[in-house]
Amino acid sequence: MSTNPGQEAVLAQQEHAAHEEHAAHEDAGISRFFFGHVPEGVHGGMKQYGLLAIFLGVITLVEFLIIVPEGLQGSGVVIAPLVILSVIKFFCVVAFFMHLKFENQLLWQIFVAGLALGLVVALSLVLLFGVFRPTPRAFSEPRVEPFVHHAPAEHEPVARMLPEELPPPADPADLAPPAPAGGAVAGASPGQTLFIGTAACASCHAIQGVAQGVLGPPLDGIASAAGNRISGYSAEDYIRESIVEPDAYTAGTADGLSQDYQQGLMSATMAGIQLTDEDVDALVEYLLQLR
Amino acid sequence: MAHADTTHAPPAHPPAHEEETTTGINHRKLLMWVFLGSDCLFFGSLIATYMVYRGQSIVGPYPRDIIDVPITTVSTFVLLMSSFAMVMGVAAARNGNQKRLIQWLVLTIILGGTFIGFQVYEFNLFRVEGLRYETNLFSSTFFTLTGFHGAHVTLGLVWLIALAIMAARNPAGRPSDLDVDIAGLYWHFVDIVWIVIFTLLYLIGGFDGPPEAGHAAVQGWNWVTGLIS
Repeated sequence: MSTNPGQEAVLAQQEHAAHEEHAAHEDAGISRFFFGHVPEGVHGGMKQYGLLAIFLGVITLVEFLIIVPEGLQGSGVVIAPLVILSVIKFFCVVAFFMHLKFENQLLWQIFVAGLALGLVVALSLVLLFGVFRPTPRAFSEPRVEPFVHHAPAEHEPVARMLPEELPPPADPADLAPPAPAGGAVAGASPGQTLFIGTAACASCHAIQGVAQGVLGPPLDGIASAAGNRISGYSAEDYIRESIVEPDAYTAGTADGLSQDYQQGLMSATMAGIQLTDEDVDALVEYLLQLR
Repeated sequence: MAHADTTHAPPAHPPAHEEETTTGINHRKLLMWVFLGSDCLFFGSLIATYMVYRGQSIVGPYPRDIIDVPITTVSTFVLLMSSFAMVMGVAAARNGNQKRLIQWLVLTIILGGTFIGFQVYEFNLFRVEGLRYETNLFSSTFFTLTGFHGAHVTLGLVWLIALAIMAARNPAGRPSDLDVDIAGLYWHFVDIVWIVIFTLLYLIGGFDGPPEAGHAAVQGWNWVTGLIS
């Protein structure tokens, strides 16, 4: 029992080292396991994996609790915390359950490369088709010309025409006035031009000989029907309100139409379309001719 | 720190076939990680497709009418716990404890099967409530994404059942710890994909309704055209 202080210190140091080694090999030490360097070949035991599983379970519970208050459901406020929590979960599983933390660096690089490519693809798709998506309307607007009804006899058989034989493009002003077809008015009034063009009404509404939209009610004879839709409204009042305030009244089977039309669809689709007061006046004037 | 080239392999059960490779990584393991990396692209595209068409269905049922977040939270937890059972199975295989390996594998299979059971219940409920594959943009993208994930889980179940049978029939040698390890990687991957799906489709997207006036897509477009003109 006569060890001098120097020897004692050496012994203590050895014991400490042995203890450390033991911890690293048998148990890896919880904090070392999660945050420190763990020698290759050493992986977690039940204790570490169990703790991690509890931790992941608690995160899942917290994620659920975040969206329990009705006010937070579907709101933008919760997106950031939810995304952060799931990213933590994601990388915990990858690092420890898939023990990528203890593997060759090359495997990290391979997986992260795949993951990064996947994210880039996803982000590109969302940006291309979700955020910066050209709407059909925006694409077609500059290309739309008023519908002109040709008598069939005016047509040369197209197949026989060689490109160099094609006549110069006709000036719309030179064309004969279109034959009135159904409820369509002769010539392209400003209202009709708007109807087919800028206002994009034609993409959802049908008028015989003019437009074939199916999402909204057909507008043939609207001038006659409009006065009977809402009591106290003249035909003009009703048509004007239907354009300016589409959700105020949605036509359906009660009005003798073949189906009930989607509530709120017109206001949603028209959200990006700006109409001036003159535009609305022109449209109303045009629609009032459809008797 | 010295280059730790496995001078201290686990004493109880040395790796079954530690062949030399130029990368120092077993080729089967490398293959699995390359596959998982590529599978990120696959699911990335499906998730992006869902996000692109999110909130643009103009006929119902919408997610808010039909998505059940509490039930899916439970099934998410079940899948998470199956990941825990799997990692314990991998540890048992590494220690050469065949009996424990079988027990953990069976638990993993039960938990994974429970998750699939929840999904079958959910899909069937949706069908009964009128949400079919072709009903709207939401249903098409939802069923495609979660269906492919469910197919991954089912494939993993078949794999784990095969491993469990192998381990029960032949206690010596196979499945090697590497066999179990690679199956485990696949299983955990399926779990992390679900972590993403659960957050995006249920916690964030589960309350979506019909498109609103001034939809983000429309706003984004107006913003860009405003910049150009």
